Amino acid sequence: MKKEIYLPTKAEIVEVVDMTSDIKLFKIKHDRPFHYQHGQFLMLSLWGKGEVPISITSTYSFHEYIELCIRRVGYITSAMHQLKPPFEIGLRGPFGNTFPIENAKNKDVLFVAGGLGIAPLRPLITMVINRRKHFRKVALIYGSRNPSEILFKDDIDSWQKKGMHIILTVDKKDRGWDGNVGLVKEYLDRPKISFKNARAFICGPPIMIKVTMNGLALMGINENNIFTSLEAHMKCGVGKCGHCYTGGKYICTDGPIFSYAEIKKQTLFPS
Amino acid sequence: MNKSLVLDKNYLSYWLRQVRKKMSLIAPLRLGNSESSRTDTDVVFKTIENIHEIELNCPSSMPSIKEFLFPQKEDMFGFSGDTADILKDDTKRLIFGVRSCDLSAITLLDKFFGENFIDDYYRSRRKNTLFISIVCNNPDPTCFCRGLGTGPFLKSNFDIQLTDLGDRYMVETASKQGTSLIENHHYLFSKPKKSDYEDQYEILLSSQAKFEKRINLENARQKILTGRISDLFWDWIARRCFECGGCVYECPLCTCFNVLDRIESEGKGVRFRIWDACMFKGFTRMAGNVWPAERKGSRIKHWYFHKLVYYPDHFGKFGCVGCGRCTITCPGHIDMATIANKIDIGDRRRK
Repeated sequence: MKKEIYLPTKAEIVEVVDMTSDIKLFKIKHDRPFHYQHGQFLMLSLWGKGEVPISITSTYSFHEYIELCIRRVGYITSAMHQLKPPFEIGLRGPFGNTFPIENAKNKDVLFVAGGLGIAPLRPLITMVINRRKHFRKVALIYGSRNPSEILFKDDIDSWQKKGMHIILTVDKKDRGWDGNVGLVKEYLDRPKISFKNARAFICGPPIMIKVTMNGLALMGINENNIFTSLEAHMKCGVGKCGHCYTGGKYICTDGPIFSYAEIKKQTLFPS
Repeated sequence: MNKSLVLDKNYLSYWLRQVRKKMSLIAPLRLGNSESSRTDTDVVFKTIENIHEIELNCPSSMPSIKEFLFPQKEDMFGFSGDTADILKDDTKRLIFGVRSCDLSAITLLDKFFGENFIDDYYRSRRKNTLFISIVCNNPDPTCFCRGLGTGPFLKSNFDIQLTDLGDRYMVETASKQGTSLIENHHYLFSKPKKSDYEDQYEILLSSQAKFEKRINLENARQKILTGRISDLFWDWIARRCFECGGCVYECPLCTCFNVLDRIESEGKGVRFRIWDACMFKGFTRMAGNVWPAERKGSRIKHWYFHKLVYYPDHFGKFGCVGCGRCTITCPGHIDMATIANKIDIGDRRRK
């Protein structure tokens, strides 16, 4: 069978859930079995509009549909927010590498998420929680803009019940919030884990990633053990169009998951 | 195992005419036919209607032939409602009069488009394309392929290579497809004599001696790798960049493209790809106005790093074949030859 790398396959949006004022969760049904691993992304096509890379939010337990968590920012995501299900779209993928969770076995694991950055981490966290006995202490630091923007509250509750240390923080508190206030970077020393042997997985806005990676490295986590998911303007997802090419790496095929050591060596964060 | 033959120049047009019956012939052609401006009109590769229009005494700096394998604008697939069907081009093409540098670039593009995920649009075109390359007897003043091993003649990786020996051509074949083009018309070719080989050798030597530019990209690469070229240098260069993208469009090895949708009627449309250039400001802009490479200097740095550092790291060859097109195109004189020289030899004005 010839593989058409640019041709999307048919899929259907079956349900749209409002998460916050500008974030929606799309449930997408796919014709063929769709195999993916945590950290990968797919290319979502709207006919006549274009294509965008979106990371996969759904955990393995959902087999009947894929979940994508999308914020309204650009041209295509704005168009998506106006869709009424059922609506037919195109999918390509999954593309990219995965979070190297296998070398976190029997180690402490720290997740740091900022805003929508919880979305790509969700399948990974769920996987870790479901295989809890293979890991030592597990912690999550999650920062949002305000309490109403905290995503996946149900998941967070269930993770906490299963023994995950969770630190929630908001940039701006409102009435009824008695938790932490401030940026994620101010809470990096809170989780009670041994930083020396920990593995950290970070996802969030670029500036937050930069600060957090630096902070965790100062806390004593080895630079090779800090992983993050980078994002870039992408057109093909298969390492041909050149838009995501930075520092000798294609973020779509060599990434999107990179370790802090790689990022520093290849200067993947252009100044 | 290259096979050598000799073709009388009088037979060339007959041979091409025979070959053209099976495939479309593309060759360099002078645009505009006014006799007065014969020297300063552009030469481009085009499908040839009349064999006598072929212009072989032209500067090598005509537009590169990458557009026949990777067109500037290419429809990928059409979609109507819910079905999408692939649009593919499988016309048989013979490109005549290709320069060695361009052909070396194609060899590298084959590797690029053929690794990991295979680009079928490129591959289906490439499979149906044959090249007849010509040894450059008189390289341009802007050429510097000699130091890169991509010209003025090739030792391998060509279909058919012609060497102009005055009244006859030395014809070398290095691929199966190339041999088949000759075998069908074997009566036109004769076996080379000892004098033919000697003439060819002389031409190759004299051609190599005619290069005016001596650019050492390896030296420039080594100097970049030491980390002594600071961002200030690239910012200083960027002051002369017009962001026209000319270097990228003319470069036979630049392959970035953008993917866009064109709606033709209600529910019907075509997704197509179009050349893009990393010199443009919006090239890396993401939704939400995140701009990884906003500074002009960082974009120029990226282009040079791609050609001088990442290409050799990945493919073992420079991302430059020394064709000199950017030298001619760039209005700010910050082309590959100039910058590589500046990095290699240095400039007093460098900060």
